[in-house]
Amino acid sequence: MSVGETSLYQRFGTIQQRRVLTVAGLAIGLVAMLALDLWAGPAGLGFGDIVTGLFWPDQLDLRPRIILWDVRLPDALIALAVGAALGLAGIETQTILDNPLASPFTLGVSSAAVLGASLAIVVVPVVPLVGETAVLPVMAMVFALGSGALILMIVRWANGARETVVLFGIALVFLCNALTAGLQYLASAEAIAQIVFWTIGNLTRAGWIEVGLVSACFVCVLPFSLRHVWVMTLLRGGEAHARSMGINVGRLRMWVILRVSVLAAFAVCFVGAIGFIGLVGPHIARLLLGEDHRMLVPGSALCGALILSCASFLSKALIPGVIIPVGILTAVVGVPVFLGLLSGRRHRA
Amino acid sequence: MTVFGATGITAKYGQVTVLDQVDLPTLNDNEVLGLLGPNASGKSTLMRCLSGEKSTTGHITIDGRTRADMGHDGWHHRLASMPQSPPNPSALLPTELMWSTARALDLDVSDRELADQIEGIFARLGLSEFALSPLHTLSGGKRQLVGLALALMRDPDVLLLDEPTSALDLHWRMVVLDLVRERLSDRGGVVVAALHDLDLAARYCDQIVLLHGGKIIASGGPQHVLTPANLARVYRVETRVTLDCDGRPLVQVIRPLRDGEAA
Repeated sequence: MSVGETSLYQRFGTIQQRRVLTVAGLAIGLVAMLALDLWAGPAGLGFGDIVTGLFWPDQLDLRPRIILWDVRLPDALIALAVGAALGLAGIETQTILDNPLASPFTLGVSSAAVLGASLAIVVVPVVPLVGETAVLPVMAMVFALGSGALILMIVRWANGARETVVLFGIALVFLCNALTAGLQYLASAEAIAQIVFWTIGNLTRAGWIEVGLVSACFVCVLPFSLRHVWVMTLLRGGEAHARSMGINVGRLRMWVILRVSVLAAFAVCFVGAIGFIGLVGPHIARLLLGEDHRMLVPGSALCGALILSCASFLSKALIPGVIIPVGILTAVVGVPVFLGLLSGRRHRA
Repeated sequence: MTVFGATGITAKYGQVTVLDQVDLPTLNDNEVLGLLGPNASGKSTLMRCLSGEKSTTGHITIDGRTRADMGHDGWHHRLASMPQSPPNPSALLPTELMWSTARALDLDVSDRELADQIEGIFARLGLSEFALSPLHTLSGGKRQLVGLALALMRDPDVLLLDEPTSALDLHWRMVVLDLVRERLSDRGGVVVAALHDLDLAARYCDQIVLLHGGKIIASGGPQHVLTPANLARVYRVETRVTLDCDGRPLVQVIRPLRDGEAA
């Protein structure tokens, strides 16, 4: 190795440039994936129709226009928004808890959302006043945020000790799962089927309002994540070193878990538990980009969006005429990519 | 000129008192204080109290001013500590760790200056060829040196080192402690180091404090502290102490003492 010929400034700069290009590559890939996702579907729209419909909607016939704007676009965009939100929430959870197995789901957010949704499915039809379609996401959201609030109380109580937080989160997962199972035991066969379908995760329920809400939440949280990129990078060197520098890790942990819970709650309440992305999106980004959170935070959001978009495309394209629930495909798409990257890393090491 | 003082340090974990009214000798410019004591004697807790990471009822001052007087940032501008554990073996690059630390702490340097500064510190610690290697590919010793580099980055007047040589081999132990001494004669300041190795302490420290059960057993120059009686009491070993040609004590451990046996 030739050390000393070029300065550290130059060599470090080269690494940074390569990473910026990788992030740009991911962004371009995402646009391409979005185009594919919009194109795929049973109605047989061509690429030309899609482009015309996107930029000059008046020139398209009514039927394809409705398909594009009321069905395909909301589905495709909710995939991006949810994927990006879960990717961002995942990377922040993994770093702040210093745990590669952590994701928003380790904190119980998703299980709580499932519990809330199940409660809506089982109980709401009994109450005549309210409509089920609106209540379901609201209940999922309330429960997910509730679990986030519980976790925050634990973080406060434990003074930010990360093992306690992880253990409590897992306990919460088991509790919510047990309560959901209890509900299923009481529920009708039809309600159980609905709960199972919701749990699998599905993008086709979303409309423009949902797209707007999840995107708005992501856009609101992102600046806070970007403000903390340096200290989060430093944290990858270990909590002891961050503390010795005078950084209040306990308080940081509280803020991060707060925003991650809100983000994950918004992401899962409209589409169901698409758990895998919050775990593997960050890992794929890490393998591609290293540990610098300036790259990793946008990279992880992009990877999450890319995986979910790809899963959404495949859910329509795999079996013509059938839309497979996207939750089934996220892992089926994500695992091979992840394993490929992992083995590539092994060869290099 | 830097004067560092710490008196009346009391620290508790819950109801358990770990440090009880510890008074360190006042450290003047260019002085190195060694903290010695067996495991669980309170060395690491004392280090964390001194850095301000753990709250204490005592009075800790740099040039007569406390942390409250100087403010959080002002304090950490003059004092840096190196924790006992080396940086985690993650995929983070040592340069990234240094860089993000500088930026997280809002150090006022340009990118170019920062890179040169990091390069300089790495060169002195023999880390140049590892500057861009992920931490998980580095040995424990190298990672410990990265930890030291991190503490040196702010160029602190008060440097706290918790077992800085525990993962290092003989060569690097001496390189690190030589560097710490050299740095003091170049720029002044004081160093407090918790150490395990008695001979290294005798060789590099101006003053030594011997801790046992959260209390100071002896404090002063190495030849006054490192006596067979003190070492028997604190470490429960029989020792023979001779003086080397520079008048520094050399400790030879003969055997462990049995329960209830006096030296």
